[in-house]
Amino acid sequence: MTTYEEFIQQNEDRDGVRFTWNVWPSSRIEATRLVVPLGTLYQPIKERLDLPPIQYDPVLCTRSTCRAILNPLCQVDYRAKLWVCNFCFQRNPFPPQYAAISEQHQPAELIPMFSTIEYTITRAQCLPPIFLLVVDTCLDEEELGALKDSLQMSLSLLPPNALIGLITFGKMVQVHELGCEGCSKSYVFRGTKDLQPKQVQDMLGIGRPVPGQNPNPQRVPGGQPLSPANRFLQPVHKCDMSLTDLLGELQKDPWPVGPGKRSLRSTGVALAVATGLLEASYANTGGRIMLFVGGLCSQGPGQVVTDDLRQPIRSHHDIHKDNAKYMKKATKHYDSLAARAAANGHIIDIYSCALDQTGLLEMRQCCNSTGGHMVMGDSFNSSLFKQTFQRVFAKDPKGDLKMAFNATLEVKTSREIKVSGAIGPCVSLNVKGPSVGEQEVGLGGTCQWKFCSLNPSTTTALFFEVVNQHAAPIPQGGRGCIQFITQYQHSSGQRRIRVTTIARNWADASTSLHHVSAGFDQEAAAVLMSRLAVFRAETDDGPDVLRWVDRMLIRLCQKFGEYAKDDPNSFRLAENFSLYPQFMYHLRRSQFLQVFNNSPDETSFYRHMLMREDLTNSLIMVQPILYSYGFGGPPEPVLLDTSSIQPDRILLMDTFFQILIFHGETIAQWRQLKYQDQPEYENFRQLLAAPVDDAAEILAGRFPAPRYIDTEQGGSQARFLLSKVNPSQTHNNMYAYGAGMPMPNGESGAPVLTDDVSLQVFMEHLKKLAVSSTA
Amino acid sequence: MFILDWLTGVLGYLGFSVPVCRGRFAFLGLPNSGRRSLLNAVLNECLIDPVEATLQPSEELSIGNMRFTTFDLGGHTQARRVWKDYFPAVDAIVFLVDASDRSRLPESRAELDALLTDEQLSTCPVLVLGNKIDKPGAASEDELRNFFNLYGQTTGKGKVARSDIPGRPLELYMCSVLKRQGYGEGFRWLAQYID
Repeated sequence: MTTYEEFIQQNEDRDGVRFTWNVWPSSRIEATRLVVPLGTLYQPIKERLDLPPIQYDPVLCTRSTCRAILNPLCQVDYRAKLWVCNFCFQRNPFPPQYAAISEQHQPAELIPMFSTIEYTITRAQCLPPIFLLVVDTCLDEEELGALKDSLQMSLSLLPPNALIGLITFGKMVQVHELGCEGCSKSYVFRGTKDLQPKQVQDMLGIGRPVPGQNPNPQRVPGGQPLSPANRFLQPVHKCDMSLTDLLGELQKDPWPVGPGKRSLRSTGVALAVATGLLEASYANTGGRIMLFVGGLCSQGPGQVVTDDLRQPIRSHHDIHKDNAKYMKKATKHYDSLAARAAANGHIIDIYSCALDQTGLLEMRQCCNSTGGHMVMGDSFNSSLFKQTFQRVFAKDPKGDLKMAFNATLEVKTSREIKVSGAIGPCVSLNVKGPSVGEQEVGLGGTCQWKFCSLNPSTTTALFFEVVNQHAAPIPQGGRGCIQFITQYQHSSGQRRIRVTTIARNWADASTSLHHVSAGFDQEAAAVLMSRLAVFRAETDDGPDVLRWVDRMLIRLCQKFGEYAKDDPNSFRLAENFSLYPQFMYHLRRSQFLQVFNNSPDETSFYRHMLMREDLTNSLIMVQPILYSYGFGGPPEPVLLDTSSIQPDRILLMDTFFQILIFHGETIAQWRQLKYQDQPEYENFRQLLAAPVDDAAEILAGRFPAPRYIDTEQGGSQARFLLSKVNPSQTHNNMYAYGAGMPMPNGESGAPVLTDDVSLQVFMEHLKKLAVSSTA
Repeated sequence: MFILDWLTGVLGYLGFSVPVCRGRFAFLGLPNSGRRSLLNAVLNECLIDPVEATLQPSEELSIGNMRFTTFDLGGHTQARRVWKDYFPAVDAIVFLVDASDRSRLPESRAELDALLTDEQLSTCPVLVLGNKIDKPGAASEDELRNFFNLYGQTTGKGKVARSDIPGRPLELYMCSVLKRQGYGEGFRWLAQYID
């Protein structure tokens, strides 16, 4: 008998799913009473090197409203060569090529270990991926030089048949013609004009094909499809030399910038031209617009601020006070570009490197709707940007880029359960079907979503509702099924279909709540609730969201805690619930919900990452991990608490966005005295090296590359650590015992300067509220 | 808590009248000099250990009848390049010095000298706050005055009419953000030069 923990882990490894509840309540009313909604995190193209290569089409259920795909949960009659759809119970004959199947001779899609399987559709046309670089030239020489180096380097990482294009912008927007010998030609647009898609096409001389016809009508047999946009988008192998030269010759925007002025930067128009170019030439084909910006859009559509330095960029405070004059209009501009790009399957990445904000807040939907990357750094010359950019082009063992394009995810459900929505880097395709529920959570009212970009780590949250009425019980032993169908363009150009089919048991929560509660996955629940909270925070007021988080936590504790009424000390939570309140405590304090101390751009960036990462990474973001290194033994995970800060310890903290090494007071002194360089202190040298090695390992695997911080007790950067640890000791309670005396027990860690409430106080309040008969 | 009592005392003393003074300040200083803590202390009346990443956005805060918009500009070397971009947007500069960290005083002095010689700021009032005087061994007011060459440069505490000041108003106040002492006087001094 496996434990739930093992079961959950196996399911994640095999199918990329993490359900909040692994035993489903059998009626609508019971499901709503569970407080944490029934939902799952799903990784549509989780890396699975062990999947068999399948080169034929999937077999579909013949019922026109169902169209589910044959899977291991289907009943099969081998003699009659029939299979029964596990979603609509339709009896389907096998297609003729399955005539030879028998119990001993099953196709892969019927074998239980292949509940997730991938089909490669060989007859579909192979399309090379498209990369359109959109480069800000209002940068100083150092920044522009570093960016040019990175871009030139990236050409060697692209598949040779990939198409590439270049747009540069400053006060004007230039679309560069590639592949003309001897001279460089470009089309120039004014940065102040709001261009309609049609105008962009006309000015570039590229016509939109008549709808319904093949977008690439002329085709050289066996070669690249010829397309009207050829002058601007060329295969890498044909133009890498000339493009390398072109990039090398890029100059800082020549328009003069007066004193007290900002550069005139036309990010909004540049992005509109890029979107228009791809839309007119490669609609519904995987493509990436890669935008590199080093500052604010200061003119034209999408403008965030004027070029007058006397007007500073908006803050959370300005937004709160409705003082951000350009925000709404700019956001509208970028939202409409995001919607157009998403409709055509195009991705928009934003690589923003500047010390000040660049308008990520206004542009965020471009990345969030299209699954594009949002990268925020200080400088294009930083290792953070360079490493991150290189990792965009990471390859799998077969040498293919680890990216997928233009994907759709479809969800099919048993009739007792419906899908209410998704929260992830996607847009709704507004496809109604029998699986669509009445409720809407996140992007709801559809059973299909478009993911213009997928990476192995891309994770979406999906929410479900039980529709079975309490009066109509599900027979004992019945199971509910969900099928996830992801169709995507692989980076090799192939069309692929990934199918995951899962089932879970039903239980009557009114009579056997313990069955349901035993299947609770607190980690999945914490991440799903975090996504819900952040989704709300995008529209609701900050305090309202915090209140909602609190209310949900209290209700969960009331429902699943064991306690005597009005006795806080009697309160207990089962083991698989015990960490959940702590996650919620850290979520409340996190940069996702607390905007103070962050710029609007930073908030957008942090939220962007939480909405797409897998469970492990999301948990790290919500509650950072802390390891302690000492002479006493191997490194050990310690509580994220002030008590873990000890003079003779080194701490390694991973917040996903930062990796921090913190040297305790004594260690820092020894390090300053250079003990590590003396042969008799070899073990000290090793101790110093251990967290650095571990940090390097984390750094190597993370996208985007985190900020790396090396600090010590009292150091200025130590605040990163101090702002995350649970303030069990603060300057307040330290002095509270009178006479300005520090706490008597010397080994009690380092106090933190904060008036925040500690986890202990939070838990006490929680217990009180949970057991209260009046609350 | 006596700190809170003291703070409400100051607020009471200043009176909760309609804001009469509005200004935009830049908070400058090296990392760890206490800019963010000062902002938090005034803004939220609570201390949150601040995270310093890049530039901090503006916040609005009020002390008594003064209402300020502040820009907390990062203190690390690269971020200092951006300071000048904000000069056109501010009416006054608050420059924080960590009085307890003598090893970084020269760096602080270099930055302050650069500010005082910047042409864009030639008439801009500058308030220098020597922070962290609660720490044992922190530099005294005299020591800071000496080190920063402020003797003869400062224009006097208390009420001094703008017309009597030849160049820009400049003054040094010592404070402890942790104990919430000292900066109130500094801000009140500054307020008289904001139109």
